[in-house]
Amino acid sequence: MLSFLIFLPLIAALLILILPNRIQNQFKYITLGVSLIQFILSLFIYFNFNSSPINAGINKESQFQWVEKLSWIRLDLGTIGKLEIDYFLGIDGISMPFLILSALVTFVATLASWEIKTKLKAYFSLFLLLNTAVIGVFCALDFFLFYIFYELMLLPLYFLIGIWGGVKREYAAIKFFLYTLFGSVFMLLVIIGLYFSVSDPVNGNHTFNMILMMDPANYADGSIFSALADNNLFGMSARLLAFIVLFIAFSIKVPIVPLHTWLPDAHVEAPTPVSIILAGLLLKVGGYGIIRICFSIFPDAAMQSAWWIGLIGVISILYGALNALAQTDLKRLIAYSSVSHMGFVLLGIASSTSEGISGAMLQMISHGALSAMLFFLVGMIYERVHDREIANFSGLAEIMPQFTAFVMIAFFASLGLPGFSAFMAEAFSLIGAFNSEQVNGLLPRWMAVLASVGILLGAAYFLWTLQRMFFGPTQLKGGDDWLSKLKDVNMREKIALVPLAILALALGIFPSLLFDKMNASILAFVQLILN
Amino acid sequence: MVEFIPFISSSINDTLASLAYLESEIVLVAGFLLVIIIDLFFSKKLPQMSFGLSMAIVLIVLTQNFTLLNLNPQVLFGGMIVLDHLSVLFKILFCLVSLIFLLFIRFNKSLQEHGKGTGDLYAILLAVHLGMNLMVMSSNLLMLFLSIEMVSLGSYLMVGYISKDSKQSEASLKYVLFGSVASAIMLYGISLLYGFTGSLYLQGPSFIAGLQNLPQLPLVLSLTLVFVGIAFKLSAFPLHFWVPDVYQGAPSPVTAFLSTGPKIAGFAVLIKFLILLQAIGIASNAIFTVLAMIAILSMVLGNFAAIWQNNSKRMLAYSSIGHTGFMFMALFVLPGQGYKALIFYMFIYVIMNMAAFLILDEIEDQTAKQNIDEYSGLGKQLSILMICFVIVLVSLTGLPPTAGFTAKFFVFSTALDAYNSSGSSVILIMIIVAALSTLISLFYYFKIPLNAYLRESTDTEIKASISPKTYLSAFLAFLLLLLIVFPSLIEQFL
Repeated sequence: MLSFLIFLPLIAALLILILPNRIQNQFKYITLGVSLIQFILSLFIYFNFNSSPINAGINKESQFQWVEKLSWIRLDLGTIGKLEIDYFLGIDGISMPFLILSALVTFVATLASWEIKTKLKAYFSLFLLLNTAVIGVFCALDFFLFYIFYELMLLPLYFLIGIWGGVKREYAAIKFFLYTLFGSVFMLLVIIGLYFSVSDPVNGNHTFNMILMMDPANYADGSIFSALADNNLFGMSARLLAFIVLFIAFSIKVPIVPLHTWLPDAHVEAPTPVSIILAGLLLKVGGYGIIRICFSIFPDAAMQSAWWIGLIGVISILYGALNALAQTDLKRLIAYSSVSHMGFVLLGIASSTSEGISGAMLQMISHGALSAMLFFLVGMIYERVHDREIANFSGLAEIMPQFTAFVMIAFFASLGLPGFSAFMAEAFSLIGAFNSEQVNGLLPRWMAVLASVGILLGAAYFLWTLQRMFFGPTQLKGGDDWLSKLKDVNMREKIALVPLAILALALGIFPSLLFDKMNASILAFVQLILN
Repeated sequence: MVEFIPFISSSINDTLASLAYLESEIVLVAGFLLVIIIDLFFSKKLPQMSFGLSMAIVLIVLTQNFTLLNLNPQVLFGGMIVLDHLSVLFKILFCLVSLIFLLFIRFNKSLQEHGKGTGDLYAILLAVHLGMNLMVMSSNLLMLFLSIEMVSLGSYLMVGYISKDSKQSEASLKYVLFGSVASAIMLYGISLLYGFTGSLYLQGPSFIAGLQNLPQLPLVLSLTLVFVGIAFKLSAFPLHFWVPDVYQGAPSPVTAFLSTGPKIAGFAVLIKFLILLQAIGIASNAIFTVLAMIAILSMVLGNFAAIWQNNSKRMLAYSSIGHTGFMFMALFVLPGQGYKALIFYMFIYVIMNMAAFLILDEIEDQTAKQNIDEYSGLGKQLSILMICFVIVLVSLTGLPPTAGFTAKFFVFSTALDAYNSSGSSVILIMIIVAALSTLISLFYYFKIPLNAYLRESTDTEIKASISPKTYLSAFLAFLLLLLIVFPSLIEQFL
């Protein structure tokens, strides 16, 4: 099932490559069909997902669901022993929500791809390849396999930004690629160190199984990452160093301040569908990696660093929000608001309380839907008049009432209006951060206080933008020409926007739709990291 | 004279018994002669006959080598030659190199159109192939030197085969001069070793004992001199300076060959000396430190210099210096552990490097473009070729989803294991430098897709035709994708 979900887009990509260019206008329907099938399948998985504590997953292999395991690479390394790489997929409460999000965001991004007019064959094959990689990352439980999918995301994205992007696309594409690769080459070294340290208790092979890496008992005596041996590298505990390396690798993706500078460039230069995927899914890969890998494999180092991670989260929230206030380009503003919102994810994870982590998970799903919606809306304006400077628009509400309604939903949902998902998510993250001092003593209370200032700033930049662009007398830089081009929302755009709005609203009113499914996993996770 | 008589019959028996293991070398010698004769008499009537014959010979040699896999080490010709599993693996690698090289020559425009014809080149290749085979098997210093010279002489001829302009003549002359100086230095080192020990047999007890009794200074001096010769073949720091000019000046097929065949043979020789050093009892930490320094400097120099190159062959030349440095990391194994990571990396390296030069050459044939900044818009004009090129470049960088990643991963594993067991910080620094150089290499390798896809072409439409070289590079690129899913296709033989 999971394999089908992962490789369906790949098969479709190959199909598109084979099909003649003559019918290139049909490629988008193939892609749309793929994402619809994925969405239906992911809903099927959601409804059949067993959320009882005996299926919590996290660090018990038997508790994962939809598991697929095939042996893949076995290399005899002589004296060190045998190397064991598996094709190992499975999901638990932490990864399942992302499958639905992936399918939904891909669906919306495909609808946004209608604006792509050139080199359609290359575009849709790369797009589908990216989709394969993203879903693969969320399903892989073997670290080697995870890494392959993780790196596989980079190439299509490089070309998607580089070929179909804006003016400075070359710079943005290579900057994004180098940033992410910087994190991941060092991650590779940690992965190798880990498999040397960990052996499968059944047959003694060195393994890449992430779940086995979470159990301290599987670490060989005196091995480099053994908790008991407590080795030192460069005068630092090896486990702490490895944790930091992995954390940096994933937090470049999240992104955190100060490693965020690729994000505004990539977003501004990328075409709308790629921005949607980038904000909706790829940033979540970072957060998912931190939960699934950094915290689960190195809980001891994570507890040592929790204070710093919380601080980084708070800085990201405030710095991102202040930057967003200062932007004149609407897309850049939303890019910075992503930095700010993802800060809540870090804060929630750092708190290591079940509220905080539930909040972080909900924030990722909620932000995935809302940022997709926001970028889609920006793309709509840009598609019509090829401009998105905030100062060039005024009084859009009169000429595009439906559009304005969608913008208001997206803006109010993003700034944390009660009733929308972001409110629940941010509230839970903050509760987690606030309680942390009492529950486990990891985060001081002032962090939660400062983070809530971020919500205030968020309200400021969203409302100010709303006021400048949509209210007041209608004044457009392009005059009557723009007036004729600025048509209201069409059917295709409604089909893309409505499901996102529904998701944001549904999770705001019934967060238990998600919390119920992941609660058991989150409790197991908290137990794992606090012991 | 008289006292040798009793030994004659036994040494004849030994020689006759040894011949059975040298079938593939005998085939190469016969093939070499046959190709010369055929080229002499039939080159007008059947111009491609020597090509077909050479292909057949290399294929025969390949199958013969496969039957020799998993052989117990055989000492042949009174200790001149040792045939073991590792050397058979190297010989299979050479067959792969030669096969691609032959196809490359066959479809290279400038070589085929040259008045001299390509028959001699096929003959030279078979001779060089023989030399490389002997290089990896020899366990006697004299034998070793002769086989290295055999490879070198053949390579000199290949580099200067066309010499169509002063740049190419310069390249070949440079190669001959530097190469012969390096050989001379190596020979001097060998003669010193012989003088100190009175023996030429690398694994002989008297040779090892003689070296053990030697004071530090002469030992280090003579081994360093020998190493100069090897490092020249490896194009490792500090003997890399010839590489850019020669690689750029030589015909593309020859460059592809030089960057793979002799380099791999050089590694085989280096491994022999590493085993010798361990036998002498030099602490492995000391050896590892020296190797790590060379690896670090080669990687840093190769990768940084490659950033500034605009000529695509020159860029690949520098990147191959970087790859040499990277392959050094796979030498960090404890005695008896084998060189699986190295051999695996070499297989992938041969495929990707050969493919890279094939594609460069094809681009040059079709568009006469040699510089990276001229590649703009090629992604549209030569679509299949450029897709293959991207796959190959991703593999050279060492990223999934290509076999270059698996290879890189195995090498990193080996090096980290060496660090684990030795705790030497030089090794750790080397590993970090290697990781960083991956990042740098991405930067220069991706200048090619950057130009080909992200920039629009300035000149008029180029009429693209799909040539045999395109098919060959597509096949090699496909192999790179296949081998990440099924690495066991290679790994089962290691």
